[in-house]
Amino acid sequence: MKHYGWLLLAALWAAGCGAPVDEAAEGEPAALRIAVIPKGTTHEFWRSVEAGARKAEQESGGRIRVFWKGPLREDDRDQQIQVVEQFMAQRVAGIVLAPLDSQALVRPVATARKAGIPTVIIDSGLQSDQLVSFVATDNFKGGEMAGTYLAELMGGKGQAILLRYAVGSASTEQREAGFLNALQAWPEIRLISSDQYAGPTRETAYQASQNLLHRFGREVEGIFCVNENSTIGMTKALREIGRAAGQVKLVGFDAGSQSIKDLKNGDVQGLIVQDPLRMGYEGVKTLVRYLDGGVVDERIDTGVTLVTESNLEDPDVRPLLYPPLERYLP
Amino acid sequence: MAVSRLRLAGVVRSFGATRALRGVDFELAPGEVHALIGENGAGKSTLIKIVGGILRADAGVVELDGKPYRPANPLSARRRGIAVIHQELSLAPDLSVEENVLLGREPRRFGFVATGQRRRQARQALAQLGREAMDLRRPVRELGLAEQQMVEIARALVDRPRALLMDEPTSSLTRLDTQRLFEAISRLKQAGVSVIYVSHFLEECRQVADRYTVLRDGRSVATGEMSRVTFGELVRAMAGEDSGEFRRRTERPPGDVVFELDRICGKTLPREVSLSLRRGEILGIAGLVGAGRTETLRVCFGLDALRGGRLRVKGRWDRGRSPRGRLRQGVGYVSESRKEEGLLLERSVADNLTLTRLEPCSRWGFIDRSAQNRAASRWIDELSVSAAGPRQSVRELSGGNQQKIAIGRLLHHDADILLLDEPTRGIDVGSRFRIYRLIHELAEQGRAVLLASSYLPELLGICDRIAVMRRGELVADRPVACWNESRLLAAAAGEGNETHES
Amino acid sequence: MKAERRWRSWRPAAGPLFGLAAVLALFAVDPELRAIFFSGSNAKLVLTQTVIVAVGALGMTLVIVSGGIDLSAGSVVALTGVVAASLLVAAVPPVLVVILTLAAGALIGFVNGSIIAWGRMIPFIVTLGMMGVARGLAKWLGNNQTVNPADNSLNLLMEPRQPLQFFPLPPGVWLAAGLAAAMAVVMSRTIFGRQVFAIGSNEEAARLCGIPVRRRKIAIYALAGLFFGMSGLLQYSRLTQGDPTVAFGLELEIIAAVVIGGASLNGGSGSIVGSVIGALIMAVLKSGSGQLNWPTYMQEIVIGAVIVLAVGLDRLREWRTGR
Repeated sequence: MKHYGWLLLAALWAAGCGAPVDEAAEGEPAALRIAVIPKGTTHEFWRSVEAGARKAEQESGGRIRVFWKGPLREDDRDQQIQVVEQFMAQRVAGIVLAPLDSQALVRPVATARKAGIPTVIIDSGLQSDQLVSFVATDNFKGGEMAGTYLAELMGGKGQAILLRYAVGSASTEQREAGFLNALQAWPEIRLISSDQYAGPTRETAYQASQNLLHRFGREVEGIFCVNENSTIGMTKALREIGRAAGQVKLVGFDAGSQSIKDLKNGDVQGLIVQDPLRMGYEGVKTLVRYLDGGVVDERIDTGVTLVTESNLEDPDVRPLLYPPLERYLP
Repeated sequence: MAVSRLRLAGVVRSFGATRALRGVDFELAPGEVHALIGENGAGKSTLIKIVGGILRADAGVVELDGKPYRPANPLSARRRGIAVIHQELSLAPDLSVEENVLLGREPRRFGFVATGQRRRQARQALAQLGREAMDLRRPVRELGLAEQQMVEIARALVDRPRALLMDEPTSSLTRLDTQRLFEAISRLKQAGVSVIYVSHFLEECRQVADRYTVLRDGRSVATGEMSRVTFGELVRAMAGEDSGEFRRRTERPPGDVVFELDRICGKTLPREVSLSLRRGEILGIAGLVGAGRTETLRVCFGLDALRGGRLRVKGRWDRGRSPRGRLRQGVGYVSESRKEEGLLLERSVADNLTLTRLEPCSRWGFIDRSAQNRAASRWIDELSVSAAGPRQSVRELSGGNQQKIAIGRLLHHDADILLLDEPTRGIDVGSRFRIYRLIHELAEQGRAVLLASSYLPELLGICDRIAVMRRGELVADRPVACWNESRLLAAAAGEGNETHES
Repeated sequence: MKAERRWRSWRPAAGPLFGLAAVLALFAVDPELRAIFFSGSNAKLVLTQTVIVAVGALGMTLVIVSGGIDLSAGSVVALTGVVAASLLVAAVPPVLVVILTLAAGALIGFVNGSIIAWGRMIPFIVTLGMMGVARGLAKWLGNNQTVNPADNSLNLLMEPRQPLQFFPLPPGVWLAAGLAAAMAVVMSRTIFGRQVFAIGSNEEAARLCGIPVRRRKIAIYALAGLFFGMSGLLQYSRLTQGDPTVAFGLELEIIAAVVIGGASLNGGSGSIVGSVIGALIMAVLKSGSGQLNWPTYMQEIVIGAVIVLAVGLDRLREWRTGR
C-alpha cells in the first residue's frame, strides 16, 4: 500500500506536469492578468480600490483581467506573503500590492521580480528598490492638513490626542508624522497622548479609544484618528462618555458610510479623505503602462481632500464620499 | 514441607476504625496453586495489596523464601519476585504485543530498542503460556480479552517471578478462555512458579488449585488440600454461622405486577433475565461480581441499551426507554457509585433532592428557593436525614445520609418502582439498619423495590424474594424462605447440586 | 505475512496519504489550474509554505501522542521569531542566534512540562496560560513592534532563490525533511519514543512498568518547545523580521495537521509521517484554493471541513476494523 500511495501521488503530479505550462503561448494574445492585493478585504476603502482597478479593467476592453485577493486580517503578514506567492505561481503578468508591512513584503516582491513579474505598490510604502512605482496618497500632507484644521478648530490652544494605528504601517505612520509636524506651528496645543495604537479591527480601535478616554476623557479637546476604524471607534467612545457632538473636536481619516454619518450629525468635525478609487485605477494603469514598455513615474500622488459638514455635498467632493462602486463592481 | 515461598502469620491491617484484616495466616508452597477464597469484604483485596507492595501490614509477619518481606512499592515487590495481575488490565492498548510484554524492560542498544532481542524475549515469555504463535506486532487493542490477559501475564513472567498473584483473572473471560488460562497456569506450576489464585468462582478454584485458604471478616478461617474438601464445606466456611441479624419483615399482601422483564439482554450483560415485580414487594438480585446485577438495573432504567427482550411498566410493554422516559413512568434508579453517578456532591441537599423534578419549586423557569427549601425540609424530616438544613452541601453528610438523599430524590419524584443498586455499600452498620427500615416503609406504602446487592445477609434480611444471577443469566427466583446463605452462594457460584446435602 | 507486516507499519500513514492524493486529484480536475498547479515552481512554493507548520507538527505529534496538548505553540513561534530577530539586531553571530533561539523555545517547553508533571495540572490549562505569557513576552521583547535586523545569512533559510524552478529548494525545506526523518526514527525505534506512546496509551500502566513518567513528560514538552523554536526561526526567516503578532492561531493549524495525520487527541497514536502529510494537505488546500481564486473565507471553510472529514473517516475506518 505504501508503494501504491506514493506511486499514485507521483503519477498525479506527473500527469499535471505533462500538461502545457503556458496557455498564453497558443491561440490569440491572451489578456494581461493583473493581480491586485489589498491589505484586507473588509474595509469599504478597499472596495473603492477594487472599483478603481475594475474601472481600469473595463476601460481596457478585455485586454486586462484583474484578480482581486487579500488576507482576511489586516495584520496577517504571512498570509499576504502567501497570496503574493500564489499569484506568482499562477504567472500573472504583474502585481499591484498594498503591502501590510514595509519590511516583510520586500522579499516576496523581489522574488516576483526575479520570476519576471513586476510590482506596483499602492497605499503604503515598501522599503525596496524592486518596485515599478509607488501610487499612493501623500499621507504626510494629509496628516498636516488634519493637524492644521484641528488646531484651527481648537482655537490654537488646548489638549490634544493622537490615536495611532499600528506599528510598521508606513501610510499611517506618515499621517502621524504629518500631523505632529503641523502641530509644531501651534505651541499652545499640548499633546497629552500620542503613544496608543488603535490596532487592526474596529473592535480593537474601540477598546483602545475607551481606554484612552477613561484616562483623558475630561481634559481632552481635540483628537486625530489616523484611519477609518479608529475614527469610528473613537466617535463611539466619545458618545458614550457624553463628549461627542463637538465638545471634543474630532478629525478622522478616510470616509466610510458610518463616519460620513458621524460627520453629518456633528460628532466628527472633519475627515481627511483619500481617493482610493483613483488609487486602484492608477495602480493598474501604471502597471499596464510599464508592461507596455512605457515610462512611469516613481511616485504618483492620488491626492487628499478635507471634508467638513459644509463642503460635503460639493460636486467634486461627493464622488470621494460615495464612490460609484456599483458601476464597476460585480 | 520445605521453606514456604510466601508465609504470612497474624497479619493485621486497619483503615481508620475499620479493621480489614484481623489476623491472617497464609502459606504458599513453591510450585503450588493456592486458591484464596472469601466473600466480598472478607479482606482478599487488602491481602493482595499487602503482598503486591501497595499497602503495608500494621502487624504480623510476612516472609518470602524465609526472609522478611516488606516491599515499599509495587516495583520493589516486582524486583523481589512477586508479580501481581490485577483485575483491571494495565496494558497500553495502542502498543504492540511485544512492546507491552517488555514495557519498561526494553532491551536497549545505544538508546535504541533492540527489536530482535525484544521479540525473542517476548516470544519466550509467551511460550511459557503456550502462546508462541501470537502475532507480536499486533496492537493490543485488537486482541480479545483473553489474549490481552495472556499479554499481561507474559509481562509478569519476563521478570521470572517466584510467585504470581492473580486477582479474579476469569471475571471477564468466557468458559473456553478460562480453560486456556488454566492450561497456562499448570504450565507455570510445572516451571516451579507459585500461584495465588483469587476468585469468587468456587468451581474454578476447585479445578485449578492444589490448596485453599478461606478468608472471612478479615481472618483466615480454613485452609487445606483442595482434594479433601467438598463444595459445601467451602461455602459454609465462607458464609460462617448464618446470622439472622435483621429479619424484621412485616407481612405485606402483594399487589399487582407493575414491572416485568421478558428475556431482556444488553450489549454484553445481562444475557437473559426475566422476572416480575409486584407492588409492595422487595425483590433482591444476588450474584457474584460480573454476574450482571448492575447491568440489569442499568438496562431497566435505560442507561444501557436494550438489545433484546422487552419490559412492561404498569401494563405497557416497551423495548427500551431513555432514563428520562423511565422517570416519567415513575421508575427511579440509585446507582451503586452514588458519589460518581448519583449525587452532586458540591451542591446542597435541597438541590440534590429536587434535581429531577424542579417544576413544583419554580415559577416561570426561575427556581423559588423557599419552595425548594420547604420541599427539601419535608424529605429531611421524613427520611430522618441528619443534616444541618436544606442548604448544607451533600459532601459534608455521612455515607448513610447521602444514600438517603439519593433515595429521597426518587421519592420527591414520586417514583414508585425503585431500582436500588448496592444501597448500603460503604455505609456503617447503624445507618444500614436505617436504610433497611426505610426500604421497608417504602414497600409498605405500596412501592415496588428491585434491590441488587452482593451482601447476602442483607438480601436474606429484607427481601421477600431473591433471584440469583450467574454469568449474565437469571438462574433462580424463589421466595426468601427457600434460601439461606449457602444456597445462595452455591446458586451464584454454579454448583447447585452439592448444596442440597446440607 | 511479510506483506501484511509491511502494510501494518505503514497503515497509520495510509489514511492521510490517501487524503493528500484526493486533495491533489481535486485540483487536477480543472485543466487550466492543472497546468499551473502541477509545476515544479508551485511544488516548491507549497513545500516552503508547509515548512513552518510541519516543523511545529513534529513537536506537537510528540506531545499529542503522549496524551497532552500544547496550545502555546503559536505564541512560542512568535516569541522565538522575535528572539532571533532581536539577537540579530544585537549583532550576535547567526550560529549562536540559532542555538539561543532553540534554547528559548526549549526553555518555554521545559517550564510547561515541569508545571504539568510536578504541579499535576492538565496540559490544556498550563499551555493555555503559556500561550498568553509567551505572546506577551514577544510583544514586550519587540517593544510592541516588529524587529527588523539587517540582511543576514539566516534570511536565506526560507529564500526561494530561483522562483521559476523546483531546485534549489530553500534550506528550510531540507532542514524540515531531515528533522522529520530523525523524529520518525526517534518515535518508532528508540526507547524514549516508545515510552512516549506507552504514556499516552495508558499512563498508569507506564508508571507500573517503571517508566519515569514525570521526567519523560518534561522532556516531551521541552523537545516540543525546541521544535516550536525551530519553527519560529523559520518564521523569522520567512518574514525577514521578528513580528510579535505573527502565527496567531498557528497552534490550531499545527494541531489540525497532527490530527489529520491520524493522531488521537486521547493519546497513544499518531505518526510523524502522518503529521507531515497532514501539514502538506493543508498547504496544498490553501495553495490550490487560492489559485482557483476562491476567496480567503472559502479556504477557511474548506480546511475546517477537511479536518472534520479526515478525522471522521479515520474513526469510521477504526470502527470497521473493529475496536
